[in-house]
Amino acid sequence: MTLETAILASSFVEFPFEWHYVRSIVRVSLYVSLVAVALSTLFSLPLALAIGFSEFRGKRLVTAVINTGMGFPSVVVGLVVLFAVSNQGPLGPLNLVFTPEAMILSQFVLAAPVVTGVSLAAVSGVDRRVRDAAYAMGGTRLDVALVVIKEARYGIATAILAGFGRAVSEVGSVLIVGGNIASADGTSYTRTLTTAIQLEARQGRFETAMLLGAILVALVLVVNAIVIRLGGTGGRYR
Amino acid sequence: MTLALEGVSHGYGDGFVLEDVSLTAHSGEVLAVIGPSGVGKSTLLRLLALFERPDRGSVTDDGTDVWTLSTQERLAARRGVATVFQEASLFGASVRRNVEYGLRVRKSWPARLRHELATRLGMPTDAAVLDALETVGLADQLDQHAASLSGGEAQRVAFARALAYDPDVLLLDEPTSDLDPRNTALIERAVLEARRRDIGVVVATHDMHQAERIADRVAVLLDGGVIDVGDAETVFENPADERTRKFIDGELIY
Ligand SMILES: Nc1ncnc2c1ncn2[C@@H]1O[C@H](COP(=O)(O)OP(=O)(O)OP(=O)(O)O)[C@@H](O)[C@H]1O
Ligand SMILES: [Mg+2]
Repeated sequence: MTLETAILASSFVEFPFEWHYVRSIVRVSLYVSLVAVALSTLFSLPLALAIGFSEFRGKRLVTAVINTGMGFPSVVVGLVVLFAVSNQGPLGPLNLVFTPEAMILSQFVLAAPVVTGVSLAAVSGVDRRVRDAAYAMGGTRLDVALVVIKEARYGIATAILAGFGRAVSEVGSVLIVGGNIASADGTSYTRTLTTAIQLEARQGRFETAMLLGAILVALVLVVNAIVIRLGGTGGRYR
Repeated sequence: MTLALEGVSHGYGDGFVLEDVSLTAHSGEVLAVIGPSGVGKSTLLRLLALFERPDRGSVTDDGTDVWTLSTQERLAARRGVATVFQEASLFGASVRRNVEYGLRVRKSWPARLRHELATRLGMPTDAAVLDALETVGLADQLDQHAASLSGGEAQRVAFARALAYDPDVLLLDEPTSDLDPRNTALIERAVLEARRRDIGVVVATHDMHQAERIADRVAVLLDGGVIDVGDAETVFENPADERTRKFIDGELIY
């Protein structure tokens, strides 16, 4: 065996730098983050519209709470979610500890304030008179909401992107509730790009860590590019 | 439909802006509401447009108190009314989509979806939309983005948007405040055309000359109430209230 093949062999033998391993990590990361962001959007957009449209006492306080939630420490969220899904917690019977679904839950909690806060800013930026016009032309409340969503589409897309960015690049909570588990066959179960990078780096497998890091950055860049394109062709954002 | 305010009082917080106002918008008639700035002309139109419930009194549609109806019935009443606000507020879309809006929301969801698809596949524009744009002289700007229109053009598109779905009552809040004389004449002609189509038009304006040109009836709003109402000639030539004469003279000198 030459020196070169020895190095090559060792780097492949050295579990887990293998493509199917990397692929499974990307898959888990995308699954968890996309589902979490989709759920956050379904939850946050109506909420942002409701808050943005109505005038009530304490509106500024609510807005402040949401904005605080955007920067909430993810390890604390992880801790709370872990407790919620643990045997003593309210979601205990669902047996979610160390599952992708538990990670979805914690990422939902992390992404929702971001999606809500940024959409709320976008929705509040839509001119009141545009809403009045939609209503005056015979629109229902739903029609008015749709007009506002359309007017604020670029801001809302930014909100969803920001939520995805927060979810996919976050390490603290998924580590706590997911446990960074890979199965015996060398595929990821609850190992995401971030938790894998953390593990690989700690174990000195820098090439793997770098590769995963590059994939993570590329992912975020691609999503950004899509949103910028949407904004560019979909009309102007006021 | 015949819209009317009956003994309406309305305000924002402390005190009333309008007090015990009664006024009817008859179909096929242009009613001008004149009065100084801040007197409550826009408030009066918002009440007629069924935007908000008056603090006291009632808004009636053919005699029925609209605010005692169900939301669904009130929506039907609301859809007989078109309002053009003081400041044009177009949607961030093409002129065509703006003018189509009223027609679009009146369709069922499946029909809206079909219409959306057909539009994307290049279906020709609705005749009513073209008609309305023709009326304001903007039929050649169908595909222009609303944000790239001049202030006057935007105001004319807002007018066309209200006209397109053929309302029974048309409420206009200072419809020509942003327009040059040529476009003002265009809008005034469109108002008279709407009247010919038996639409009831209510115009809030502080332009006395405009009221003289287009109104059949004039209501003078001052100190929170309608101090004078009657056919245009009588109000201008022979007002019942001394304040009306002062107001008109003051304006005419200016
Ligand atoms: N949403 C509101 N909240 C509080 N006050 C209001 C509101 N809308 C109007 N007002 C007040 O009610 C009064 C009447 O306003 P309105 O806009 O109806 O007057 P206007 O006759 O249309 O004036 P202009 O000729 O300048 O348009 C004003 O004093 C105004 O400050
Ligand atoms: Mg006004």
